[in-house]
Amino acid sequence: MSSVNGEPPSVNGEPTSVNGKSWTEKARDRAVGALPPEKLLPDSQPSYMSSWIYVFGVLTLTSLIVIIASGSILALKGPGWWHFTGIGHFFNSIHLWSVELFFFFMVIHLWGKYWMAAWRGGRARVWMTGAVAFVVAVPCALTGYVSQQNFDAQWISTQAKDGLNAAGVGSFFNVTNFGQMYSYHVYLLPLAVVAIVIAHVLLVRRHGIVPPFQLSDRAQPTAREPESVREPDSVPAGGRAS
Amino acid sequence: MSRESRRREDEAAREWKGAYRPYDILKEASIALGVVLALAVVLTLLFSSPDLKPSTVQSWSRGDPVDFVTTATTELDGSSGTGSYGPPYNHASDGQHIAFIYLAKWLGVSHPINSAQDFVLAPLRSISGQPALASALSAYQAAPANTQTTWTSAYEKALGNATTNPNGSVKVKPGNYGPLPAMMGSLLTFAQSGGLDGALLTSKQFYQTDYTKPLLFMADGGVLATRAQQQHLLGTQWGMMNETGSYPGQVWLWLYTFWYQIKPFSTSANADILVMAVMGVLSLAFILIPFIPGARDLPRRIPIYKLIWRDHYRTQQSRGRLA
Amino acid sequence: MIASIVNLNHPANTVHWHFFSMSVANVVVIVLLLVVFAVAILAPFPGHGGTAR
Repeated sequence: MSSVNGEPPSVNGEPTSVNGKSWTEKARDRAVGALPPEKLLPDSQPSYMSSWIYVFGVLTLTSLIVIIASGSILALKGPGWWHFTGIGHFFNSIHLWSVELFFFFMVIHLWGKYWMAAWRGGRARVWMTGAVAFVVAVPCALTGYVSQQNFDAQWISTQAKDGLNAAGVGSFFNVTNFGQMYSYHVYLLPLAVVAIVIAHVLLVRRHGIVPPFQLSDRAQPTAREPESVREPDSVPAGGRAS
Repeated sequence: MSRESRRREDEAAREWKGAYRPYDILKEASIALGVVLALAVVLTLLFSSPDLKPSTVQSWSRGDPVDFVTTATTELDGSSGTGSYGPPYNHASDGQHIAFIYLAKWLGVSHPINSAQDFVLAPLRSISGQPALASALSAYQAAPANTQTTWTSAYEKALGNATTNPNGSVKVKPGNYGPLPAMMGSLLTFAQSGGLDGALLTSKQFYQTDYTKPLLFMADGGVLATRAQQQHLLGTQWGMMNETGSYPGQVWLWLYTFWYQIKPFSTSANADILVMAVMGVLSLAFILIPFIPGARDLPRRIPIYKLIWRDHYRTQQSRGRLA
Repeated sequence: MIASIVNLNHPANTVHWHFFSMSVANVVVIVLLLVVFAVAILAPFPGHGGTAR
C-alpha cells in the first residue's frame, strides 16, 4: 500500500486497508479514546475538590518516587556500601524514611477514599488497584528489611520464614536467601508496585475523581452548570469529560 | 440501600457535569515531590537510620559457649528447631496445617537441611590434621543409633549446669557422653576462630548468597532471640511492628501481629498458617470492599463525607438546590 | 558513622495498655496518622469555589 507525502494511506479519513484497521490503529484509538491528552493531563478539576484530603494521593506517589531514586543509588553502590560510609548511610536513611512516609501518606489516602466511597460510579477498579498496590507494597518492604545485612535482617528473616513456610510459600520464596531477596527487592517487586500504581493512576484519570454523595434524591448538577467559575470562553475542551 | 437506588446513585456518580476550576497538575506534583524530599531529608538529619551489626556464629560461640554447644548437640540428635522442623527443610514433621490442608507438606522439601550432617559432622570432617577428632568422629558414626541418643541426651542434660572456662571452652560434670565432648570441643574452637561461619556458607560452592544454614543454626540457639528481646522484637512484644532502637517500625503490620497475641492463635502449634489464612481472607476483603454489603455502605452511614465536601454542600445549598 | 541530631539507638520505651504493647515511636506514628487525617478533613481549603492553589 503506497502512501503520498508520508501520510498513511486513506480515503476521506477512512483506512484503506482491506482488512479494516490495523492492530496499531485499534490500540491507538482505544488508548486515545480512553485517555485523550486533556484527560491525561487536565488543567482543571471539579469544584467539589476543596479539601486537603485530596493531596495525599500525590504525596504517596511522590514518596514512591523518592523511594525508587534513593533505592537506585543504594543499588548502584551495592548492598554493603551503606554500612561503611557516611554518604551511604545518608541515602539508606532517605530510603527508610521515604518508605515510612509512603505508608503514612498511603494510609491517610486510603482512609479518605474509603469515607468518600470512592469506588462509586464505576470506579471499583480504581479502589481495587489501590488496595492491591498496598498489599504488594508490604512484601516489597519485607524483602527490603531482610536485605539490610544487619541484625534486623537476621531477626526478621528467621522469624518471617515460619509464617511463609507454614503457608507453603517458603518452598520457593526463601527469606534467608539474601541473593534471592535482594533480586526481589531491587527489581521484581518494585516493578510490580510501579505497574499497579500506573494502572491505578491511569484509571483515576480515566474515571475522574468521584463526585460527592448526593444529600437528597433531587439530582445534583446533571444538566449543564450555568454558573461555571470559569470564563465562558475558556471552558476546557476535555475538562468536562473527566 | 435498595438495588435501584444504588444503581441510580452509581449512575449519578459516573460523571461530574458541574463546575470546574483551573488546576495545575504538574505544579501540584512538583510541590508534593519537594515536600516529600524535604521531609525525608529533615527526618534523615534528625534521626538517621538504625544499623545494628549482625551476629555471627563466631560472636555467638565466643559470647555464649554453653548455648552454642547445647544447640550443636540438639542439631546432632535432630531435636533442634531446624532438626524437627519439617518442610521445606526436612521430613521430620508434616509442618503446619489447617484441617486437612497441609500446604508446607504439599509444597515439599525444597531446601534440604540435615541438621546433624550440615551443622556438626560435615564441618568437623573438614578440619584436617587432628587425629583425636578424626577418631572421635569415627567412634560416633560407628555407634548404633540408640547409643548415640544416650550420649546426646546425657550431654544435653549436663550442659544445663555447664560452666565456661577462662579459655572459652565448656566444662560439664563427668558422665557417659562418648566422643561428644571431644567433637563439641573441636566444633566450638572452630566456631570461635571464625571458620564455621565460612564453612556453613560455602559448603556447596564458592560464590554464595544463601545464608540459610548459618541463620537457622543461630536461630536454633539463643543469640538472636536474646538480642531481639532487648530490642523489643519478640512476637510476644508485638515485635513484628517494631524496629531496633527507638525508631518507628512497620506500623502497617499491626493487624498481622495482633492475631498472634490472642487465642486461639497464641496457643496453637499451627498459629502461622492460621494467621496467614485470616490475613489472606481479610486482604481479599479489603480489595473487594466495593462489592461487600455493609462494608461498602458504612461511608454513607457514618457521614465523614459531609465534612470533606462541606464547601460543596454549602455552595449547593446557597444555590437553593437542596430541600 | 551515624551523625544524627537525635540518637534513637537505645532500646525503645514501650506503652502497655491491656494486652497491647507498642513502642513509643509507633504510638507517635499512629497518633500522627489520626491527627493528620483529622486536620486534612477539617482544615479550611484556600480559595474554595474560586481560584486554584
